[in-house]
Amino acid sequence: MLFNSLQYLVFLPTVFVLFWLVPHRLRVPLLLVASYIFYMSWRPIYGLLILGLTVGNFVLVPMIAKAQEVKHKKLWLGLVVAANLITLAIFKYAYFGIDCVKGGLSLFHVDWNAPHLHIILPLGISFFVFEFIHYAVEVYRGKPLVKKFMDFALFASFFPTQIAGPIKRYQDFIPQLDIPAKFKWEYIDEGMQLILMGLCKKVLLADNLALVVQAGFTHPEKFTSLDMWLITYAFAFQIFFDFAGYTDIARGSALLFGYKVPINFNLPYLAANAADFWHRWHISLSTWLRDYLFIPLGGSRCSRWNMYRNLFITMALGGLWHGAANHFLLWGVYQGVLLILHREYVRLMEAAGLHAKLVKSKLYHVFSVIVTFHFVCVGWVLFRAETEQMCWQIISKLAEAPLALMNFSPSQLTILQIRDPIIFPAIILIVPGLMIAHVVVNWLNNKKFYLSPPWPVQVAVMVAMLCVLTIFSPDTSPRFIYFQF
Amino acid sequence: MPIADDAEKEMGAMTGFFKTRFAWALLTFLVVGVAAAWLNFGAVSPDNFPVLSWTGWTIKDYLNSKQRPNIVFLGSSLMLVPLDGVDADYLGKRVDGSQHHHSVYFEDKLKEKTGLSLKTFTFALPGEMPSDAYLIVNNLLKGKNKPDMIVYGVGPRDFLDNMLPSPAATDPFRYLSRFGKIDQIADRVSPEFFPRLDYELGKVSYFWQKRADISQTAEQAATSLINAMVPLPVDGYPTTFDERRLLMPDFRPCEVPRGAAFFRPTTAAERNNFVDNLAEYKKRYATMKWDTYISQMRFFADALDVAHAQGIKAVVVAMPITDLNRQLLSNLSWDAYRKGVLAMAKRKGASVIDLSESKDFNRSDFGDTVHLHSGGGKKFFDVVIDQLAKNEDALACFPEENRIAAKNKTTQAATRLPVSATVTTNAKQKLSQRGLPL
Repeated sequence: MLFNSLQYLVFLPTVFVLFWLVPHRLRVPLLLVASYIFYMSWRPIYGLLILGLTVGNFVLVPMIAKAQEVKHKKLWLGLVVAANLITLAIFKYAYFGIDCVKGGLSLFHVDWNAPHLHIILPLGISFFVFEFIHYAVEVYRGKPLVKKFMDFALFASFFPTQIAGPIKRYQDFIPQLDIPAKFKWEYIDEGMQLILMGLCKKVLLADNLALVVQAGFTHPEKFTSLDMWLITYAFAFQIFFDFAGYTDIARGSALLFGYKVPINFNLPYLAANAADFWHRWHISLSTWLRDYLFIPLGGSRCSRWNMYRNLFITMALGGLWHGAANHFLLWGVYQGVLLILHREYVRLMEAAGLHAKLVKSKLYHVFSVIVTFHFVCVGWVLFRAETEQMCWQIISKLAEAPLALMNFSPSQLTILQIRDPIIFPAIILIVPGLMIAHVVVNWLNNKKFYLSPPWPVQVAVMVAMLCVLTIFSPDTSPRFIYFQF
Repeated sequence: MPIADDAEKEMGAMTGFFKTRFAWALLTFLVVGVAAAWLNFGAVSPDNFPVLSWTGWTIKDYLNSKQRPNIVFLGSSLMLVPLDGVDADYLGKRVDGSQHHHSVYFEDKLKEKTGLSLKTFTFALPGEMPSDAYLIVNNLLKGKNKPDMIVYGVGPRDFLDNMLPSPAATDPFRYLSRFGKIDQIADRVSPEFFPRLDYELGKVSYFWQKRADISQTAEQAATSLINAMVPLPVDGYPTTFDERRLLMPDFRPCEVPRGAAFFRPTTAAERNNFVDNLAEYKKRYATMKWDTYISQMRFFADALDVAHAQGIKAVVVAMPITDLNRQLLSNLSWDAYRKGVLAMAKRKGASVIDLSESKDFNRSDFGDTVHLHSGGGKKFFDVVIDQLAKNEDALACFPEENRIAAKNKTTQAATRLPVSATVTTNAKQKLSQRGLPL
């Protein structure tokens, strides 16, 4: 069931009305049933997968808490984490593993007839497995257990966040379930605003940009280097609006039940360096990676080179988390290298006594934002290109841009010659417009008018969004990009 | 996070739904919708199509034709492919499938046989179902262009297609439904809950109902604006349809520009490329879907009823298919189709030409397991014309002015040298790529 479907338009209000009609003790069971219906509407058998993992974690994690000795705690933790990761590996990485083994054997001229496993990747598995691991590690660290099975099951399967996050923390989520909250009309206002905003991001921006991106990334040979930069910018905004749109709908849907789930984005393309980018992009994942991978590996409380090793491993595995393919691994490695280079750069500048001065300079900040955005965009090429060959082809095209700029003429832009659909030439206006919108929103973010606009303005914005969504919602909208992870 | 605790104070005076901003937004949205409906905001004429598919071209040509057709052909590609292929042979030149909407061969041969000088129009469309045929008869075959006769070629796929989610899912339906209300058939057009909900939402919200029109208008406005702001480079040229299709194969999949689906003249020797499309039909016939069968049979009956009520003589032709295709169907499915069609046609007063089990057609007459190539198509139309010529009752529907004196008058067409034809592989592939049955 997609958020941008008629099914969800019926499902969400139905669950919402029932939720507030039933007594508090029945709300969690109701949401649990709704969440399983939501999940099983795609492929019923996978309901058993999420249920099995829930039961397994609920039974095994208390063993960590009960163990008296640290080594026993560690043993139980290792067992729980391994069980979760093995499940993830089987469903998500089996083909990738087989391909790697096959590739390795071929080096020795061994032709292995690899089995076909008929595995279909369960939706959202990467997200709920990470939530289970988070729970196990937190219990190991001494945090309290979840007492009620229903609460725990709902934590893992809560339908607004089930498929593509945000990755929740049980300490934040579970206590909300126990509060016998009274219905507030404000939930509707805040929730619906977020839902409408999210749908607009998806339907109006991400889906339209997808046309340009799809053409550019499947046929880079048809486009010039300057085109490919514009197409890469377009993808940067497509993936942002697609995922941020999903997150808004998830947060809005949760808010209708009075629950808050974490934010995932904070104007990521205004990041001034790679580390800043990861504080603004997919925040629930980056904080998970920090807490449950980077810190256990040793974090930054170790030698410089060990810290770089930890960063590298964390980001490489973070890349692989997105999908079982070399280009995701490469993207993760690239992000790790960027973070390491940034730290080295800061260290050198500090050693030269320049860092403090530069950080205060507005011009330097603007320059940093532009440079960071372009490094992030190059990363997006690794992320989006479907084959390594295609990836290098695009990157080499991007590298030709300085030469092309020296002899620039509008006829160099193939996108200007594609007049149907009109989104192609419109990219020239849309991409700068979206960047400016980032800056404007950043400026407005601490203005009272923006944070709490007058009542008629809020109504007018919602009416506009309703009209636009009604008119421009396609019969079949593409799935959210992060559904595949 | 304990929302319940901290939210109470912030709530202010909100005590009811109609005090929420969302409620006011919803209410305003409905009022704006009513105003937009009153102003007919963004609505476009039914024949102003955003994309010209086979259906779009055909409707435009029909509405713009200056001469009233006497005979309109209905059916799927089973009828369309031989009609165009035979004309390509007969005329000795390429025929653009999406633009060629009559049968010169049929007109000439019928004139030769009967002395009737008649005009034809082809409303046979790729993937056309009886539900589409019903909309054609009900919404378009009326007024000044009302024909005297319809010749409706049917095949088992028309009633048994497992791959059809609902009657509203076809490309013809999307275009044809713009020409009239479908309230009376809504339960059959959208039998499942969500398609029906989609339809009902259109009744409540003008914007939802007219979203295709308004988005088309908005797209046109945006196109003008962008063209003005970001013009085509002076030394540039706009990309062609083929270039665009290469870059975006899934964009407007049903669009067919001029010259994209040619039928070329061929000789018997060139028609040997029999295409095995059984895999596709295995899916189409996978199970006996009674819901689809009953629904489409009702539309078939309704089409014949409407034709009768409008004074249009109906001739139903059960199309020949290969034994290979027939063997995919269980006896139950085949009997349901064949007996059902024949009985219904007779009950509704239509003339019937049953070629479904005819021994006159064999595999060598077909381009694949269901479509007659131009050679088989010529044989097919000769049989149909022969049967029509013998059917005085059917011929009586044509007005006196179409009857010319000399039955044996040599027509210009008779002097033309027939050349065999078949649909080009290119055209077939293009139809197949769009998921249209060939």
